[in-house]
Amino acid sequence: MMLVTLLLIPALAAGSIALLRNRVLIEVIHALAALAALGVGMAVAITVWRDKTEIVGLDHLLRADALSVLMVTVVTLLGAISAMYGLGYIRVEFDASHFKQARIFFSLSQVFIFTMLLAVTTDNLGVMWVAIEATTLATVFLVNLHNTQNSLEAAYKYLILSSVGIALAFIGTVLMYYAGSVGSGEIAVNWTSLHAAASRLNPQVVRLAFVFILVGYGTKAGLAPMHTWLPDAHSEAPAPISALMSGVLLNVGLYALIRFKSVVDITLGPGYSSRLLTGIGLLSLGMAAAFLLSQRNYKRMLAYSSVEHMGIICLGLGFGGYWGVFGALLHVINHALSKSLLFMLSGSILVKYRTTDIRRVRGLLRASPLTGGAFLAGMLALVGLPPFGPFISEFIIFRAGIESNPSVAAIGVALLVVVFAGMLASVNQMLYGEPPDKLAHGEALKWSIAPLAVNFVLLITLGLTLPAPIAEALKQAIAVLGG
Amino acid sequence: MVIEIFPKLVNLLASLALGTAFLLIARRNLRGQVRLFAAQSFFVSILAGVIAVFASSAELFAVALGLALLKVFIIPAILNRAVSRIGLQRSVAPYLGTPAALLVCGVLVATAFYVMAPITASNPLPTADAVPIAFSGVLIGAFITVIRRRALTQILGFLMLENGIFLLALLVTYGVPFIVEIGVFLDVLVAVLIMEVFIYRIKENFDSIEVGEMGRLKG
Repeated sequence: MMLVTLLLIPALAAGSIALLRNRVLIEVIHALAALAALGVGMAVAITVWRDKTEIVGLDHLLRADALSVLMVTVVTLLGAISAMYGLGYIRVEFDASHFKQARIFFSLSQVFIFTMLLAVTTDNLGVMWVAIEATTLATVFLVNLHNTQNSLEAAYKYLILSSVGIALAFIGTVLMYYAGSVGSGEIAVNWTSLHAAASRLNPQVVRLAFVFILVGYGTKAGLAPMHTWLPDAHSEAPAPISALMSGVLLNVGLYALIRFKSVVDITLGPGYSSRLLTGIGLLSLGMAAAFLLSQRNYKRMLAYSSVEHMGIICLGLGFGGYWGVFGALLHVINHALSKSLLFMLSGSILVKYRTTDIRRVRGLLRASPLTGGAFLAGMLALVGLPPFGPFISEFIIFRAGIESNPSVAAIGVALLVVVFAGMLASVNQMLYGEPPDKLAHGEALKWSIAPLAVNFVLLITLGLTLPAPIAEALKQAIAVLGG
Repeated sequence: MVIEIFPKLVNLLASLALGTAFLLIARRNLRGQVRLFAAQSFFVSILAGVIAVFASSAELFAVALGLALLKVFIIPAILNRAVSRIGLQRSVAPYLGTPAALLVCGVLVATAFYVMAPITASNPLPTADAVPIAFSGVLIGAFITVIRRRALTQILGFLMLENGIFLLALLVTYGVPFIVEIGVFLDVLVAVLIMEVFIYRIKENFDSIEVGEMGRLKG
């Protein structure tokens, strides 16, 4: 029942927003729905963690275990923060004369949240696929919300590449379903039954299936070389949506990968998925590093950085062992917090300077000290400096790597240094110098960035300590995946 | 008797479906391309119907009817509407000429047989022999999406890829559960409606539906 409620909140909000004509009412519904989803999401998560149990609903179609609720927490928390930020941002970007776009934004944002929540709370792998494909369909008009030539190109590319990519994941799902139904008579396409039957599956079929899964869901997770749509789509979307696409949606793609990996590892042993994941992780990291060295558009810079971080998470999963996976899941949280923060701030910078060109953003610290300071701190967190969370999770991942695969870990760390240099050089250009003459002093979207304090508090907390409840939550999520 | 004919019939229908994908490579007329997609969907629906009868599954029969309705009638109608509205009848030269493209398709079919060998070998169903044919359809659909310049033909490539996947699921396991099938149909329909809107927007913004005109986002 709790899960049904959780899904109904964004679904009903989306429907009612689409029908309403009063902008204030729409904004109120948007904000309340985001907060209500956060409340119910946290209630679900706490129930699962505290009672070490799982929640099912709708005749086992819905199921939330410790891994699902980790994702539910990320989706609803960042969904709520970006909704609060979005109220102010959309007021500026789409004023009264653009009411239609504003309404599309609010309505599709809720559909987007709904599809992500469904993807992480269903036990049926086919329904999960349908929900993840639906995330693309929900966001494609959001990418093209400004209806410029660039955003049109980005949205079209995103639509076609993601649809073709994820179609391959469907083949993988069908093959897994087949592997499950042949070995053990009639079984459903549920993750739980597949996981239980994993040791009896036909290894050759599973091997083939996982390649399709990796390419398919890897496309959604923005892993190289299937990442080509990502920098376009994430940089053209309005800031609150970029924040959710980079910070949250990529993780939903990874979540699907992790679910299948847990089955594959039981059938084939951990070596097979490990090799593939470290390979693809390292490639993503390298590709991102190459494009980050001379990036001229700060939103594209943040987007390529997402490819980098998805690569790091894959490395963690590939290095494996308890700490490799632990670091990977912790990095999911840290990346989500820091990347969404930076994308929202990039929206404020865009509103202020009206350009995404790094060379034309000058003197940010002087023009808007608060936005600039927060952007700097966020960037330091993102590139992995203490005292912020990503430092800890990257440290855990590469420590696990030094034990299991030292050469890959060494290359990975070297690439991180390249990324570090490239990104900080770009940020330096933006922060210092003289602001353009006609630029007014002051913060764009002053109150809208207040919710971002939550990101900072969490990032610093995760950077200084590892709170016991979070360690316990991750431990339970890893236990779910085990054999 | 029926048992003997069944796998042959399956192979025949799957091959006909694949044949339409080959024809799409050569065909330039946009309406003709849409007709080819409708024809492919027709063969796939008949195949689903045949398997439904053979496996006496009412659920699968309903899926076959739904597929026919959606992909033989509704989606081609949507695409034809788009062709009329953009007022372009002929498709421009693709990135790759027809002979070369057909050659690549031949290689893709061979690849499909190689990749799907473990599935064919392990599968006890009488339909298993046709699995590589279905997967060839998937690969050729993806290939068409890549080499064609017109948005509409790319969309047809994507839809043929979808048909291939449906066929694959049908042959490997007699289809996926009903609820998943419904969800997939819904996704495909919404995707086509969105793609239709994009055809108009691209036409408006670039005064052409050649995707090659777009290419500003780099680096």
